[in-house]
Amino acid sequence: MNSKELKALLTDWRVATLLILIVLSVIAIYPHIDDQGRLATNLQYGLDLQQGSWLQLEFRAEVVGFTTDQPVEAFVTNLSKKLDTEVIVVESANPNHLEIRKYYSQVELEPIFTSEQGKLTSYQQGVSKSTADTVKRVLENKINTLGTKDAKVNTLTGINNVARFIRVELAGVDMKQAQDIVGKQGKFEIRIVTTGNQTEHVLSGETITSVQVPSQEPAGSDNWGVGFTLSESGAAAFRAAAIKYGATADPAKHNLIMLLDNETVYSAPLSNNLAGKIQNENIRQLYASTGSGKYGTQQATNLEIHLRAGALPVDVNIAGSGGVSAPLGEHYKIMVILAGICALIAVGFVIYYRYRESSIVLPMVLINASEIIILLGFISLIKFQMDLPTIAGLIAVLGTGIDQLVIITDEILHEGKVPSPSLYLKRLSRALGIIVTAAATVVIAMAPLALMDLSTLKGFAIITILGVLVGVIITRPAYGRIIMQILSK
Amino acid sequence: MGLFNYNIEKYSPKQLVIIPLVLLAISLVLLALNMATTGMPVTPGIDFSGGTAVTLITTDTKEQITSYFAEYPLVEVSDMGNGKFLKFGLMDDAMYKSLTSLINQKYPDARIDQIGETFGKALQSQAVLAMIFSFIGMAIVVFLSFRTFVPSGAVVLSAFADIIMTAAAMNIIGIPLSLGTLAALLMLIGYSVDSDILLTNRVLKRQGKLNDKLTGAFHTGIIMTTTTFAAISAMFLVSWFGAIQIIYEISAVLLVGLLFDVMNTWLTNVGILKWYILKGGGK
Repeated sequence: MNSKELKALLTDWRVATLLILIVLSVIAIYPHIDDQGRLATNLQYGLDLQQGSWLQLEFRAEVVGFTTDQPVEAFVTNLSKKLDTEVIVVESANPNHLEIRKYYSQVELEPIFTSEQGKLTSYQQGVSKSTADTVKRVLENKINTLGTKDAKVNTLTGINNVARFIRVELAGVDMKQAQDIVGKQGKFEIRIVTTGNQTEHVLSGETITSVQVPSQEPAGSDNWGVGFTLSESGAAAFRAAAIKYGATADPAKHNLIMLLDNETVYSAPLSNNLAGKIQNENIRQLYASTGSGKYGTQQATNLEIHLRAGALPVDVNIAGSGGVSAPLGEHYKIMVILAGICALIAVGFVIYYRYRESSIVLPMVLINASEIIILLGFISLIKFQMDLPTIAGLIAVLGTGIDQLVIITDEILHEGKVPSPSLYLKRLSRALGIIVTAAATVVIAMAPLALMDLSTLKGFAIITILGVLVGVIITRPAYGRIIMQILSK
Repeated sequence: MGLFNYNIEKYSPKQLVIIPLVLLAISLVLLALNMATTGMPVTPGIDFSGGTAVTLITTDTKEQITSYFAEYPLVEVSDMGNGKFLKFGLMDDAMYKSLTSLINQKYPDARIDQIGETFGKALQSQAVLAMIFSFIGMAIVVFLSFRTFVPSGAVVLSAFADIIMTAAAMNIIGIPLSLGTLAALLMLIGYSVDSDILLTNRVLKRQGKLNDKLTGAFHTGIIMTTTTFAAISAMFLVSWFGAIQIIYEISAVLLVGLLFDVMNTWLTNVGILKWYILKGGGK
């Protein structure tokens, strides 16, 4: 190949696109030596390739269809009383659905609906999309306050907009911690000491409208605590209880106790200052101090989470969980790199055995490798988290990508070397026809996985589909052009 | 290539399809039997039935591990490379928590995956739907591409046979249906038609003698399957050695599926296609 031919090859748009994409991909992957002198890249890893844990939570609630000849409002109020929980009309295109925020089986619900002169028409465990989003926000807040660098919360919404599960992924946190953080969601309550050991209910978690991050009061004193805000009615209830039981007159005898799932998480008297203020007006802005130093900070962090826990509208239980330790993640990483390299070498050997011509084998293997580089570049660009199934997908792309290069080569080599450019193009387009059909079947076959909420496999499906597309759109046409140059010599 | 000497010319369409059809029938019976005993055609793994899977990289023996976890519903301990796999049955939350602390203390580097029964059940129905949608989607693409009934039907039948035989083989060798193996099966739906499409395309759209076209297609097709086989074998070996269960299962299913694919493409599909051409179709 002389320099003129090489120039023609490099400026061909198919080849040029491939080369530019490879360069861009390498920039996106950004291999570099980090501060600790290790090789690092921009690639993001999923939980199974680094230390981390995941939890799958199931909503203890259900969305039901109903009909009634009663006014809907009265029906819902009565139902709510009978079921001893919140019942909400789901706002959607289809308004005759209710969300019941407590777990009941269909069999339990049916007679209750009948007794209220209604009828249960459908039953599905889970919550509406908007409730699921609220839970997601609360969980995200809880996790963020812990300073976890990498957390993902995803609701798994079914076909009819009912979410039954929510998945939480926490990088750099071990299973036990993860369970402690999100596994248990509880009912939050503030009670007040009346006389002796007796306590009375003051307010529940719903009346807490916002919770601040731990702070020092006064600033710089190293005395820690958490500020929180009550709703108007919450503040009124708080004041009424404080006055009724005498906490404003004698704060020290009437501790305020915060309970999460009936366990005391905080107990302290009103400060004299606050007691005086509450005597006169509703106070919405409250501050719970937790002590000083490291202990105080730790307590404040926990209290903040407990306060937020009160805002979770629905009970959840753990439907699944898992975790990978740092050394095992590291081991997996090395193993999958090894697997990738071995796969590429194995493919190279088979191709060499078939064609015995390094001028064909080398471009094939290089094109194959370039496909992986472009995919990796894309993965780092969209900050996709690579997990083990994704890597299996990458290797499968490698194995099947070469298939299509074989189709092109054989189609063109049919009955000897390439005679004329026009016949060449005819053969190339026929080969591309086969490839496009084959590619379409793969995309279609993997699409349900990519779209469905079988979350752990989404990565695998998306990467397989992307790999096929990159192949068909970018690398195969470029290969066709390169192999033409080589064969026409 | 000299490795395979397979002379399609020699055999009649009937001779070609008889072995795969018998195998397909046996496979269907096996799946039905499994369905009758377990409720699913392929035995569901932890992902679908619920339970806890633990991966340990350890030199401890099976007996030692079994004694450590005597108080928990340990179902199975299996070896893989330098790793051990523990499977536990369903537990309540409290027991599971005590198990995680025990594992944390004994094997701090373990990997734990726990799936609750309800989540597994929800996955099951999604998995069935995914399989059906994939298969129908693939069939539509094939029919749109060839627009003639018999050749398209032959491709779809071959893909169907691949999946059924692979699923039956999974039951025999004891690979459960997990999320990973489900993905592998779906991938087989997509990829097993690769060589079928090549074959059909060559036979229907090229000029020349039927037997030359068949031989040419076979040469290309077999090398395609061999390259994929080589890449997946590498993945299989490394994942076995490195005790990466999900990749091990994916690659095992793909390998089995590729073997059946060779048979179904070059016996089933070729047989039907040959019968169709000899009968005068495709002109």
